[in-house]
Amino acid sequence: MRSLKASPWKLLAAALWVWLVMVMPAQAVPAYARQTGQACVACHLSFPELTPYGRLFKLSGYTFGKRQDLPLAVMAQFGVTSVRDNRDDQGQKIVPKTDEVAFSGASLFVAGKINDHIGGWVQWTYNNLYVNNAGKTVGHSGIDNTDLRVTGSSANPDSTDLRWLYGLTVNNNPTLQDVWNSTPAFGFPFTLPPNGITQIATTMLDGNLAQQVAGVGGYVFWNRRVYVEFSNYQTADGFFSPLRQGQLIHVPGGVTRLNGFNPYWRIAYSREWGANSWMLGTYGAIFNVYPDNTMPYTPTDRFRDIAFDTQWQHIGDPHTYSVQYTHIHESQDYRASYPATLAGTPIGVGPTPANLGDTLVTDKLKFTYYFERKYGATLAFNRTHGTADMGLYGPGTVSGSLNGKPDTNYWVGELDYLPLPNVRLMLQYYDYSKFNGAGSNYDGSGRRASDNNTLFANVWLVY
Amino acid sequence: MQCLCTALLAIAAPLAWSQQNAVADQSAVKLATQVCVSCHGPGGRSNSPLFPRLAAQQQAYLVAQINAFRQGSRGEKEAHDYMLGMTTLIDDPTAAALGRYFARQTPAPGVPGDAQRIARGRQLFEQGVSDKVVPCASCHGAQAQGNGIFPRLAGQHAAYVVHQLKVIQSNLRQSPVMHGIITKLTPEDMADVAEYVQSL
Repeated sequence: MRSLKASPWKLLAAALWVWLVMVMPAQAVPAYARQTGQACVACHLSFPELTPYGRLFKLSGYTFGKRQDLPLAVMAQFGVTSVRDNRDDQGQKIVPKTDEVAFSGASLFVAGKINDHIGGWVQWTYNNLYVNNAGKTVGHSGIDNTDLRVTGSSANPDSTDLRWLYGLTVNNNPTLQDVWNSTPAFGFPFTLPPNGITQIATTMLDGNLAQQVAGVGGYVFWNRRVYVEFSNYQTADGFFSPLRQGQLIHVPGGVTRLNGFNPYWRIAYSREWGANSWMLGTYGAIFNVYPDNTMPYTPTDRFRDIAFDTQWQHIGDPHTYSVQYTHIHESQDYRASYPATLAGTPIGVGPTPANLGDTLVTDKLKFTYYFERKYGATLAFNRTHGTADMGLYGPGTVSGSLNGKPDTNYWVGELDYLPLPNVRLMLQYYDYSKFNGAGSNYDGSGRRASDNNTLFANVWLVY
Repeated sequence: MQCLCTALLAIAAPLAWSQQNAVADQSAVKLATQVCVSCHGPGGRSNSPLFPRLAAQQQAYLVAQINAFRQGSRGEKEAHDYMLGMTTLIDDPTAAALGRYFARQTPAPGVPGDAQRIARGRQLFEQGVSDKVVPCASCHGAQAQGNGIFPRLAGQHAAYVVHQLKVIQSNLRQSPVMHGIITKLTPEDMADVAEYVQSL
């Protein structure tokens, strides 16, 4: 589908389409809502943020309710992106399709229970604004987030509460399986401006392995209080290759390729009182990464991510609040790339670090308020900082770093209006005070961090 | 021969009934501990004032409400969002078993509140107000313990009680008898009586 120019007729057509979607009765309900017969707000504070009941539903393998013959759901987004200065130092446009209404993409979900112990979801996404190797904006489809579970449970001795809830998960994105929205996969922002300008470095757990890996793990939730999980992640090859369908695994620099099994762990303590719920937890992983994804026989670099997180929610009527915070500390050990770089023979297109070891630290804090679960406002602060490494973070227009530092700080403000539970109208603003190491001339081409400030108006439909 | 058949039937029918009840009870325990517990709390002793406490609730009232959710006669938003779908997925024996399950649970203790409000609420609950409302205790019991289809109110979240009084008054929740009784109840009266029953 081509992007829509903002002519009145096309805007009218878009509005008509939205209206048609709204008035479709049975089809206008996502798969899980059809399965349980419940409204979105039962499981979501506001989608995709989960309520305590939504967390229990997910940990129970999405098995509540009645199996559907056609367990399908659809999601679509279209919006307008505007970057404060969308020209690089050569006058070239940086982010394509800005300042016009653009259909950014759509997803098809197969989601639901198979029986009382097995359930899951598979998301297939069509990205209408995919930028290919030639820098052209084209349509592209591939697998998106996927989570399949087998679960079981037992009651406490007096049959008044859940004692053990346990399960196995197979997924393709570390932290996707987590039920608290302080972890990256379902952390804020829940949707981003398509092809927005992205900072030079993020930690492995912060989306770098999404839809490239297969994770198999087991978890227990004890007394609805203590959650413990251990998973192993590997590059999604062979039997698991459908989990990375559409990713460029054979193109140098395509995916992040892992060697063997890579452990991921998670421990969380959760309490509920009154209308409140609170969680304090830790999670982490160790990843052995091939410097060049097309050379899976070389030595590997090692990334160790250790994170702490907390979440508080107050779900009331009419006022609802939630706060999430996470701190991710990544130790990067370039045990393969560094000696190769020193020797003057970098491994393929792999990194060429100037240090044997670097650190990268990310903090994310987010506060959300909703009135009647319909009118919402969110304020978030993201901060990344780490070791200066000219070999990893060199100068380069827009996306480079003049001082070799990955440091990036930004605020995100978001306003939401949900005229229907499955329709979100949103306005996001990204305000950068530091980008790739500095506030001004961060890239060596005179660009300021604030030049990347972005306004994003979006319509998000799920049905 | 006819006598033998009658005798066999007399033995088999209660056996089948009790077997059906046992299966339904198992389903109810599973549902209550795996699904209901998240909102209504352990044994129906909920934490959140958004969701009613069901522990020690009258069995007949619970079953009547499950039917009301199914039939849509509870039209308030929360009934539609949370309960309509879940109740249409359970059969009558399981609904009855859920009623039995929650009715036999130990109730949560009352929550102390504003003394003056509780005193006013108690007055209204026990004696009513002339030309305005009859004593609540006449149907709900002297200790607000409920009676059959009249619900237990003792220990219920005050915010939930107020919300229900409002949706019954506005006829969103269809309860003709109760609607007629509380027509003249003011928001202040509702807050008082809710504070009182929560404290029991």
